[in-house]
Order: sequence, then structure tokens, then C-alpha cells
Amino acid sequence: MYSQLILKRFFCNSNSLFAAEKSLLATLRKKTGYTFSNCKKALELNNNDLTKAESWLHEQAQALGWSKATKLEGRKTNQGLVAATVQNQNAVLVEINCETDFVARNTNFQEMAEAAARACIEFSKKYALGENPLIKIDLESRQLNELPTADGKLLSDQLALMIGLVGENASLKRGICFKAAEQIHLSVYTHPYGNERNGILLGKFGGVVAFRQIRPSGVDIKKLGKDLCQHIVGMNPDRIGTVFDKPAGNTDDEKCLIYQEFLLDSEWTVGDLLKENGIEIIDFKRFECGETDKRIEEDTPEKITTCQ
Amino acid sequence: MTSFIRSRVVVPSLRTALKQILFGCELSRTQNHNKIIQYIVSNNSCSRFYSTEKKVFQRDKPHCNVGTIGHVDHGKTTLTAAITKILADKKLAEMKEYKDIDNAPEERARGITINVAHIEYQTDNRHYGHTDCPGHADYIKNMITGTSQMDGAILVVAATDGVMPQTREHLLLAKQIGVKHIVVFINKVDAADAEMVDLVEMEIRELMTEMGFEGDKVPVIHGSALSALEGKNEEIGSKAVLKLLDAVDSYIPTPVRELDKPFLLPVEHAYSIPGRGTVVTGRLERGIIKKGDDCEFVGFSKVFKSTITGIEMFHQILEEAQAGDQLGALVRGVKRADVKRGMVLCKPGTVKAYDHFEAQVYILNKDEGGRAKPFTSFIQLQLFCRTWDCSVQVTVPDKEMVMPGEDARLILKMFRPMVLEEGKRFTLRDGSLTLGTGVVSKILPALKPDEKLALSEGKKAREKKAAQAKQG
Ligand SMILES: Nc1nc2c(ncn2[C@@H]2O[C@H](COP(=O)(O)OP(=O)(O)OP(=O)(O)O)[C@@H](O)[C@H]2O)c(=O)[nH]1
Ligand SMILES: [Mg+2]
Repeated sequence: MYSQLILKRFFCNSNSLFAAEKSLLATLRKKTGYTFSNCKKALELNNNDLTKAESWLHEQAQALGWSKATKLEGRKTNQGLVAATVQNQNAVLVEINCETDFVARNTNFQEMAEAAARACIEFSKKYALGENPLIKIDLESRQLNELPTADGKLLSDQLALMIGLVGENASLKRGICFKAAEQIHLSVYTHPYGNERNGILLGKFGGVVAFRQIRPSGVDIKKLGKDLCQHIVGMNPDRIGTVFDKPAGNTDDEKCLIYQEFLLDSEWTVGDLLKENGIEIIDFKRFECGETDKRIEEDTPEKITTCQ
Repeated sequence: MTSFIRSRVVVPSLRTALKQILFGCELSRTQNHNKIIQYIVSNNSCSRFYSTEKKVFQRDKPHCNVGTIGHVDHGKTTLTAAITKILADKKLAEMKEYKDIDNAPEERARGITINVAHIEYQTDNRHYGHTDCPGHADYIKNMITGTSQMDGAILVVAATDGVMPQTREHLLLAKQIGVKHIVVFINKVDAADAEMVDLVEMEIRELMTEMGFEGDKVPVIHGSALSALEGKNEEIGSKAVLKLLDAVDSYIPTPVRELDKPFLLPVEHAYSIPGRGTVVTGRLERGIIKKGDDCEFVGFSKVFKSTITGIEMFHQILEEAQAGDQLGALVRGVKRADVKRGMVLCKPGTVKAYDHFEAQVYILNKDEGGRAKPFTSFIQLQLFCRTWDCSVQVTVPDKEMVMPGEDARLILKMFRPMVLEEGKRFTLRDGSLTLGTGVVSKILPALKPDEKLALSEGKKAREKKAAQAKQG
């Protein structure tokens, strides 16, 4: 019966004026993907001229996105993605949030996460390292919004466009850039691992680690970097630890990286692993999607930390 | 007789205590299974009431679980409130305010926190449990804990917006949690015109077909949940909601009740009673058993047949017992030593033992009593299901590790075959810690002898083998 309904509509399309309009709306919607209300408005404002309506929609997309974004502002966003990538001695982690995990699984949102990571990497590349072996740059929401994207718009514009498309609130939450001198290795990891868009890793958790080889050992640096980063993502240490730190009584409560059991081989501690391979960890950072990060919440201006 | 009736309504903890007194099982062993037992009790309670003396509790309509899915803001909660209002007018539900449903309480089902609102109502034909939960993770947890496994869903789409990019994700989820029957409600037609509504309908049918549902057969109802809630525009308001409920009644099939399935009794204990033979005790998980029924024991790599020659419950001899009853069954020609806790007694030929399967599992986070660390493939855990437990080796096919608080697809290889079936729920433990809970999603081919041997290999041996395979 329902297929009949569709068929019927299909047949009268060609011969009544009213139906011709119907198919205009359908065509416009199919072509642009904007909501029915907006497509209809576009046709009305442009006297049912399909081409004009389409260009009007594209022109308006930004404004429509912004108006939707404003409308949805204030709705809680604690789902989303962490994007991570490394390029020429620059590594970034960036978190973007949305309201439901359904949206986080959607390509529109993943494209957004990719764009955000790229914008951060470009930002980091432009930064002068100077004499420092490593600098870390915290980016908060306000600064992320102002970063330019590849096509010259602002990240916030692209975010508004996406909000217009998926109809759910979203926000750029935080980012961090690691910029390192030649002798330092940078690695990133996201969990679940393997979801990659054009060289940008996406996941619910992300980690970045900076380390260097202090004694040659022939270890596979790339693999070790990835494994260490996976360990950090999985075991959530709160500091690297020094000889002054004491191991916690219970291995499950150990928060000090060097005393933690290595995730991929519990016969080792991370400290043993580093020693064996002549590696020194300089710094790390872990993002968990949706977590409240105290440092980000304080409203401090752009913060730069120089290590060592 | 009084004690018999009362036995049907005792609360789980009391029940366990009673059982201990009556059947004298050791406390520690029962505790291990507490969670599982409790779950089974709650799951069966409606069918149990169903069949007690007439009119103790009026639930003579079949039960069905449904839920609303769809984009935020498209009106899921408004629709849920409207349904209760319309049915309350017919005295078939209790009116729920929008705000009561919207502030979904964090529910703890089997120790897992889920953000859901559970609402109850009935139509003239059926009794419904209705779930409105906000996120993907919540639906998955809901499925895994099985507190309200959805038999069908109502997909809400606003006519003003049409199908959204993430509607695809909603349908994917429905498939993943095993929902095959979906009824569509196109909402907000008060704010759209007829042609928009028609186009939205076409779009949704197209998408559903693409996602593997019967796109041209699904019922699609047009209406306005808000109008229904506010008692306006009867045609698109209350009438549309009633039409939707009719569609739900007829399109979503009634699930088979536990009582109507072939009988199955997980064995808790076996006793030898001098002069009479062997008695096995346990709670009848499903079906009805009668004195004289042929039966079969399955488990621990054994299968053998017998006949039930007597049924006893709370020291009373009965002719038959039904799902949910805690009973003792006298079986013919079976030695006490042949039967072991963990076997099942069932209708011959209805179940089989398996040692290899795929499952959807939720891993508890630390606050829920789980462990703090993630785990990777090859971890060895203890699997508890019904009255048995068994060592399993875990493979994580889709990720490199599983974090606490996450759901995952796991491949489980058991050290010995035990009775299982798709949809069966189980618990995974690591020592004294409950690590997670899951549901069997697919039975896989039985393990070959070399695969079985490999289960007990250590990490070193595995690595050596892998290295050899690389060279050779
Ligand atoms: N015009 C109109 N508005 C409606 C209708 N149904 C719901 N709304 C409005 O749409 C908004 C969202 O409705 P909800 O019921 O909260 O939507 P929801 O799908 O539960 O949203 P989330 O719980 O946030 O996912 C509210 O402002 C409702 O008043 C309708 O039939 N017509
Ligand atoms: Mg809602």
C-alpha cells in the first residue's frame, strides 16, 4: 500500500504544476541536504527558481548555521572525539564535543575533528621554538574558535556550518600542541586505535608523548613511541615520576608512570622498559573525551610552558 | 497451598535465603551467582504472575518492550508523554509529565549505570515497557543488561528537518541491538506542510531500505506529539498517537514468553535420595515440566537422556512446575555422580554445548566495581553463566584494548564446551572482581584440537609461534 503511495506520487509529478513544485523541493533537499524548512524557505524567497534557491542556500548556510548554533548554545555537550596527529616535530591533541555519541560517529563530525587538528598543527608550525628542546601550547575553546582553516575561514565558522547540518550543539573544547627540537621524538595515540582520516587519528581518548634516546639501543623508536602512548592512554598516569617518588603499595592505584606495570607486558614496569631501551620521557599529555580538565576551566590566556 | 503461593512472590534476597535453608547449599557458592540469579528472577516475574491462581494480579495481556529512538529535539520525550496522556484518558496508563520523563534517572541495573526513563502503559491488546534513553552507549548497556531488551522501536523524525545525517547511526544501532521491527512517527506535522511530510516519508523509507529494513513495509504515521499532549488538533494529535499505537500493536511481534519455550533447568545440585534415586535441584529457567517428561542432561562434554519421575517444590509433590519455580526433579536411571552443577536439564534436543562464540560486552568502570585498567587480547577470565563457570580466553577483534566503562565486541574461547545460546547473558570475572557483563551475539564454529591446545599456551609460546610463522 505504501509503495502504491510512492508510485502514485511519482506518476503525477510530471503533469501537474503543483507536483512540479513538489519535485523542486525534493530536488533541492537531495542536492543540498539542508533541512526541509530551509529548502522550502529558499524556494519561496526565490520564486521557485532552483538554481537561485540553491545558491541562496549556500550563501545562507553560514548564517543559518550560526543561527542554529546560537539557538542550541548552552545545551550540554560531553560526547565527541579527540583528534591527534604528528607532523614535522609538531604534535597536537584536540577535543571537540557534541551532544550525543551518534553524531560523533557521523562523517560530518569527523571531518570537523580533522579540520580542527589540521588548524592546530598549522598554528603550532608557525610558532618559534627558539632554544627550547620542547614547548607545549595549551589552546582553549576561545582560541580554537579563532584558528583559520585550510580554506581561510575560521574553525568556528566551520563548526557552525556543521551544527546547521547535524542540528545538534557542538563545541571546540581544548587543544594542546607539543613542538620539539630535532633530537626529541613525538608520538600520538588514540583509542579506539585505527580510526584515521587522512593521517589524523580519531578516538574517545588521545595521548601525546615526547621522549628521547639517551643511550643507543637499536629499539624501534616508532613502535616504542606508539606503545608508550597507548600505555599512557590506557593507564592514565598523573606524572612521569623521579627517583624521589615512591611506588604506591597497590599496583592498581599506581599513578606514577615509571612505576606502573607496562600495559602491554605486565612483567615490566614502564621504568624498566625505559631503562632497558635507553629512553627518557620528557613529557606527556592525555585527553579523555568529556572529562573536566581543571586547567582548561580556569580562564587563563594562552599558556605556554617551556620544558627544561 | 498457602506456602506454595507465597513462594511465588518472595523477593530475591529472601528467596536466596529460603533456598539456602531448603536446599542447604553453601553460602559462598550461591553468592557467586547472586547477580545472575537475581536477574533471572526479575526477568521471569511477569510470566510467573501470569499463571498463578487467577486474578491475583491482572496481567493477562502479552508484554512487549519498545523504545523511542531519533534525533535530539525531534520530539521523543514529547511523544512518550503524549502516549501516556492519551492512554491515561482510556485508563490504560498513568499520565507522565514531560519533565518527569526528561530527567531520566541514572538507573543501576546489575551495577551498571544507565541513563534511561522506563515508562509503562497498555493498549487494548498488549502491555508495554517503554524506554527513552539518550545515547548510543545507554542503548547498548540496556541491551547487555537485558533489563528491557527492546522488541521493537519507534523512530521519531521531525517533518520540519527530515532525515538527519545521524539518523543512519540510529538505524545502525537498532540493528546492532537486535531490533528488527521499527515503526516511524513523522512528528511536528503541525509545523510542516503536506508535501514536506510526504517527502520526509519517502526519504525515511529509502534510508530504511538502504539500511536493510523493510523500507516499503514499515508503518509510517504522521502527527504532532505536541498537539496530542496539549489536546489540540485531534486529527494530527490524539488520533495520530492512537494510530501509532495501533501500528506498534500490529507490526511489532509479541516476543515468545519464557513459559512457552522448551523447558530448561540449570542444575544447582544433585542429591542421592536412598530408595528413590537422584534428585537435581535448580530454578526452572523457561518452559513447563511435567511428571513423566523425557529430558536430557547437557554439559561438561556429556549428553545423556533420562525421564522426570517426580517434581517437588518446598516439600510438596507437584504434577508440573513452570518457569521461575525453584524445584527438585527426580530423574530415572541417573547416578548422582553423573550429574554436576552447571549442567542443564532440558527438553531433549533443544540445547547444545559450545566453546566458541562472539559477544557484545560492557566492561564496568571502577565506580561500578570493575577494574581500573584496560585489558588486551589473550587475557584469561572466568565466565559465569546460569549455574556454571568456565575459564575463557578473550580476543578483542576491533580495538587494541578495551577500557573500563566501554562496550566491545569480544570473541570468547572457552576451555570446555558448555550450554549457551544467542541472547544468553553472562558475567566475566577476574579473580574476585566483576569485570563486565555481556550477551552472546553469535555462536562460532567449535574449536579445533590445536586451537584448544593453544588456549593454555603462555605469551612466550604465542610469540615464538608468531615469529616462526613469519619466517616460514
Ligand atoms: N511544533 C511542534 N513542536 C514539537 C512537537 N513535538 C515536540 N515539539 C517540540 O520540540 C522540542 C523537542 O522536543 P523533545 O520531546 O524534548 O525532543 P526529544 O527528541 O526528546 O529531545 P532530546 O531528549 O533532547 O533528544 C520541544 O520544544 C517540543 O515542544 C510537535 O509535534 N510540533
Ligand atoms: Mg528527550
